[in-house]
Amino acid sequence: MTKNFQNIDRIITEKGSEKKNLIPILQAIQHEYNYLPEEALKYLAGKTTITPAEIVGVAGFYKQFRMQPAGKHLVKVCIGTACHVKGAGLVNDAFRRYFNLPHGTDTDKTGKYTLEKVSCLGCCTLAPVVQVDDITYGHVAPDQVDQVIADFESHQGQIGTRKFRKADGSEIKGEIRIGLGSCCVASGSGEIEQEVEKVVSQSGLRVKLKHVGCVGMCHQVPLVEVVPNEGEPTLYAKVKPEDVKSIVEKHFDPPGFFSKIRNKLFHFAEEIQTDRNWDGVQRYEISMREKPVASFLGNQVPIATEFRGIINPLDLEEYQRRGGFSAVMKMFQSLTPDEVIEEVKKSGIRGRGGAGFPTGVKWELVKQEKENKKYLICNGDEGDPGAFMDRMLLESYPYRVIEGMIIAAYATGIHEGFLYIRAEYPLAVNRIRKALEICRAHHFIGENIQGSGFDLDLKIYEGAGAFVCGEETALIASIEGSRGFPRIRPPFPAQKGLWGCPTLVNNTETMAQISYIIREGSGKFNGIGSDGNTGTKVFALAGKVARGGLIEVPMGITIREVVEVIGGGIANGRKFKAVQIGGPSGGCIPAEHADTPINYESLQAMGAMMGSGGLVVLDDTDCMVDMARFFLTFTQDESCGKCTFCRIGTRRMLDILENITSGKGKPGDIEELEKLAEWTKKGSLCGLGKTAPNPVISTLKYFRDEYVAHINGVCPTGKCIDMITYSVNDNCIGCTLCAQKCPVDAIPFTPHEKHSINTDLCIKCDSCRAACPVDGIDVR
Amino acid sequence: MRILKINNTEIQVEEGTSVMQAAQMSGIHVPNLCWHDELDHFTSCMLCLVKDQKTGKLFPSCSVQATDGMEIVTDDDEIHEARKTALELLLSEHVGDCEAPCHIACPAHMNIPLMNRLIAAGKFDQALEVVRHDIALPSVLGRICPAPCEGACHRKSLDEPVSVCLLKRFVGDSGQMAAKVSAQPTKWNIAVIGAGPAGLAAAYHIRLRGIHVTLFDQAAQPGGMLRTAIAEEVLPQHVLDDEIEFILKTGVKFLGGKSIDPEEFATMQKSYDAVVVATGTGAGEQQPFGLKATPKGILVDRNSYQTDVENVFAIGNALRSSRLAVRSVGQGKEVAFSIWQYLNGKTLTGEPRMFNSRFGKLVSDEYSEYLKESVPAKRIVPGGGGREGFSADEAIAEAKRCLHCDCRAIDNCKLRVYADEYEADQKRFKTSDRRKMTKLNTHSFLIYEPQKCIKCGICVRLTEKYGERFGFTYIGRGFDVVVGVPFHEELSNALTETAIRVAKSCPTGAIELKENGSIGNVNADGEETRTKYES
Repeated sequence: MTKNFQNIDRIITEKGSEKKNLIPILQAIQHEYNYLPEEALKYLAGKTTITPAEIVGVAGFYKQFRMQPAGKHLVKVCIGTACHVKGAGLVNDAFRRYFNLPHGTDTDKTGKYTLEKVSCLGCCTLAPVVQVDDITYGHVAPDQVDQVIADFESHQGQIGTRKFRKADGSEIKGEIRIGLGSCCVASGSGEIEQEVEKVVSQSGLRVKLKHVGCVGMCHQVPLVEVVPNEGEPTLYAKVKPEDVKSIVEKHFDPPGFFSKIRNKLFHFAEEIQTDRNWDGVQRYEISMREKPVASFLGNQVPIATEFRGIINPLDLEEYQRRGGFSAVMKMFQSLTPDEVIEEVKKSGIRGRGGAGFPTGVKWELVKQEKENKKYLICNGDEGDPGAFMDRMLLESYPYRVIEGMIIAAYATGIHEGFLYIRAEYPLAVNRIRKALEICRAHHFIGENIQGSGFDLDLKIYEGAGAFVCGEETALIASIEGSRGFPRIRPPFPAQKGLWGCPTLVNNTETMAQISYIIREGSGKFNGIGSDGNTGTKVFALAGKVARGGLIEVPMGITIREVVEVIGGGIANGRKFKAVQIGGPSGGCIPAEHADTPINYESLQAMGAMMGSGGLVVLDDTDCMVDMARFFLTFTQDESCGKCTFCRIGTRRMLDILENITSGKGKPGDIEELEKLAEWTKKGSLCGLGKTAPNPVISTLKYFRDEYVAHINGVCPTGKCIDMITYSVNDNCIGCTLCAQKCPVDAIPFTPHEKHSINTDLCIKCDSCRAACPVDGIDVR
Repeated sequence: MRILKINNTEIQVEEGTSVMQAAQMSGIHVPNLCWHDELDHFTSCMLCLVKDQKTGKLFPSCSVQATDGMEIVTDDDEIHEARKTALELLLSEHVGDCEAPCHIACPAHMNIPLMNRLIAAGKFDQALEVVRHDIALPSVLGRICPAPCEGACHRKSLDEPVSVCLLKRFVGDSGQMAAKVSAQPTKWNIAVIGAGPAGLAAAYHIRLRGIHVTLFDQAAQPGGMLRTAIAEEVLPQHVLDDEIEFILKTGVKFLGGKSIDPEEFATMQKSYDAVVVATGTGAGEQQPFGLKATPKGILVDRNSYQTDVENVFAIGNALRSSRLAVRSVGQGKEVAFSIWQYLNGKTLTGEPRMFNSRFGKLVSDEYSEYLKESVPAKRIVPGGGGREGFSADEAIAEAKRCLHCDCRAIDNCKLRVYADEYEADQKRFKTSDRRKMTKLNTHSFLIYEPQKCIKCGICVRLTEKYGERFGFTYIGRGFDVVVGVPFHEELSNALTETAIRVAKSCPTGAIELKENGSIGNVNADGEETRTKYES
């Protein structure tokens, strides 16, 4: 009996019935069912010209699609780079134990929860991060997973509708800015927002509540900035809902004498009722003049992130007031396409996606193509597990990205474009969607833009989860509705791209820097950085650094400046060991080379690469072999499987690394690994495979002794679980905390006696060591 | 037109020609697996890597168009290593046996699975041809062989090995065939000294090539140890006599009661084009006939059996005492090939042995997969008791127990050919557990073994091109990608009109027509002729 698939009919009518509509159709079906039921797919094949082979091929390629029903709630454990170095693996294991998941299953017996590893939630500064449906939990320890679920369940059914309070402009006494980047949202800025709304409405204050994009200080989230009309703005970090009232009252007097009294009384009464022991707002206040903030922000040069923390991402009027779209207007009034290209070339800007191809030259190539139909693609398929620049730019500066695209399209004679955005970035997709609507309404896209006679239509294409689609030919295949298989270049997309037409593909960050170049002139842009490496680069700074976040720095800044000045050095007094730059395509640069300037060539010479811009700082507790294994796990999993060297080469490299990190390494393994890395680099078809060995090659270059130690049976940092044992030392005071925390009862409950660990039962979850108040657990 | 240089030779090709095609036009073969003449390039296998001489970079030649001024190198040490590595990576996830384990284990390298299938089909005469192709004394060995093949049989993991030795005995006893001596007689004369199993086999196989053979033995009757050292109830006299007669009837001249002393031997070296020494364990002579030897026996080249004297070859227990008649018989066959090479003035290589993919023991998950091509019955013991052989019904039933471990693509697998050519080591990347074998056997005339697939996508692209309703598709991605039928449809729905085309286009044995197999003969130039057997 075939089911009645009216919903599928509706989806087909909405999305279209051709192969190019396949991914949006599958996304809609999954939205409907939570997975892709085979019957629904068969029905789809029957109703459209899309073949079963195409449907199954595409559905199986992209990570987003599930072929099995998922539980009611999704528990996503982030295993991005930053989370990995902060113990995400142990958190994942703890969830598996908590849900009692046998090997090979990911949904608990009751069908309520499905556990999923995700490569990056883009909240690297809150690592390790776990997301349960829409609620994000940061700094999750393995022994807190029960609390996470308990908290999630306590929030069930409580999610109220968001209110939006619009203040009357004339009487505004100032504004309260709330960060709405993903990190801020994840850290609870939504609750803060509700609380501010509540406080403001109760007090009758005339203040404007304003949403701003990412400030970049992700290590301090959630951030609230209070900007009175008179006086200095004040930035509050790590704000808790209960702090809000004091913060607000400190800056604004409620209107009228009675209100004030009423407010004070109310506050007083509430304090008594709730018996809240609160030690004052000062602790959370950070002044821009204070050294850490000045160091963090002062050394940066915002171009792509211009006016960060100030402008409301979707306020078009404000964007224009702050110079937005003036580049487009200037261009329409006074610049020919050739002049635009010339200006971009003179600026020296190179592709910010990582490879560093001169942007102006690329534009020129596309312009030269005589085809009538050409396409523009903004590549926002950011897949690096330790990077979230594109996401932040799309979320916080949607107009700036769109403006860059208008300029690029005008310069190259393109009238149709796509913003390819990962579906894992729902906020970015929503912002861009709204921004496009607003731009259309205000004639910044569509026909005859601003009366210039130039037409440009822009659409969103939601990626479905495939790192390889960051590679431009794979990205194009994906928009065409196929598996994200890269193909050989030449022909380059500039000659034959989307549907065989010349196609300009630029990274989101590149697009976000274009308007600055046109508005301010190439000279101002190339005055930053050095010859051949001009302008700025955005990095996601995370890992063991004291102050992580999103930073935009001039090209040529040294690694040391980034880590020590901007990042405030290593947290917890540990020793700076290395930075991992460029994510899965990049490499580890050791601390002794920290004076290396950050530019395309110098990084490459060091065995790393600019890559997508992930910058993860490692300290002396990080195992470099484990890092190599971590990245290989990622690239191996993300390999599309088309070419031999990448499909099998990365797998065999990972096998060897897994053997080495589990104590099964043998003489000759290091040499074989080196050889295989060389061939995978030389023989792979696309950038993914060609760069996948970099994390291995660079760690072998700088940390070979660690590999040798593993072969000899020792993990020097004690990170590799299979090579270590836990034991209790004489510091033990017999407090039983460890015994209480142990999830497998490997530590007998012996109060006031030195504890012991049964190594046969021990699962090395690290809970005991974390719980011990006296450093009484040895890991060797 | 485009003008480029390939291996320093200039060539003109039309615009749009790939570098690989250009090389082929200049007579240079560039290895490839994922390339198919009917399809666009796909760039998967990476075997066709060549070098751009100017940049020193490797690129896949199937997917890059020839342009003016290109300077291409199609083979050097680096390219060779690249291709070898690619092959070794492919082989590391290619689970399957080329030749069946029994075939490889047999010292005479007899195609046992083919014999089994012919017996199972009731084609006893053809089965005998297959046995005699490698074993000159089927009925004899069917009684005395310790059957190393049965030790290697995959079925051993499941229950008990196939009773190969008794099956061989059965075809030896029941099959009828005529020896096919080459229609073109040669002028060459060969002396074979010693008429034991090695000498008899050598004489037979040399004679089949149209060469005159004189077989000498110190005993009056041929047979050597077979006649003297084995009990009548194990090997009845008439069985031995019949098989010797079959050999002699091909035109082998036997001179019995003739001991050869060193002087005579020296004369023989001159009067015969070549001499084969098959004198058995001998009487402890330190240097028989003055040939270079060790205390164990005469020293020969391992592949060709050539001694230190150019036209003298030695085989069997004269090399070292093995007391394994089947090895002696096998060497008799092999030396015939060496002599053929020698007489034709070729380099002596010995009988070619191709690369064999091997995956080790069957595991329990795989039993049911392998039984899809077999029967679950237990090993059959001849009803007539231990001394009796199989009846025809018993032989058929026992032969059906064979699991068909040998690959159907054994003669036309590009992966095997290149693995052989590049001397690839399948074990190099044995870094983790292998995949489990599965067999999709529901199609009437072809079979799909996904673990042999190298993901070249030819079947996916062909079924798409020819508009198969289901066809093949990639399922999943990365290392775990499999090529399969969408919506778990049956193989017969995936491959309708394209079935034969797809099976013939598969570069490995993953998708193959259900054919029985063949036996091959290689001529002196290394060209192979194969005899196919259909059921």
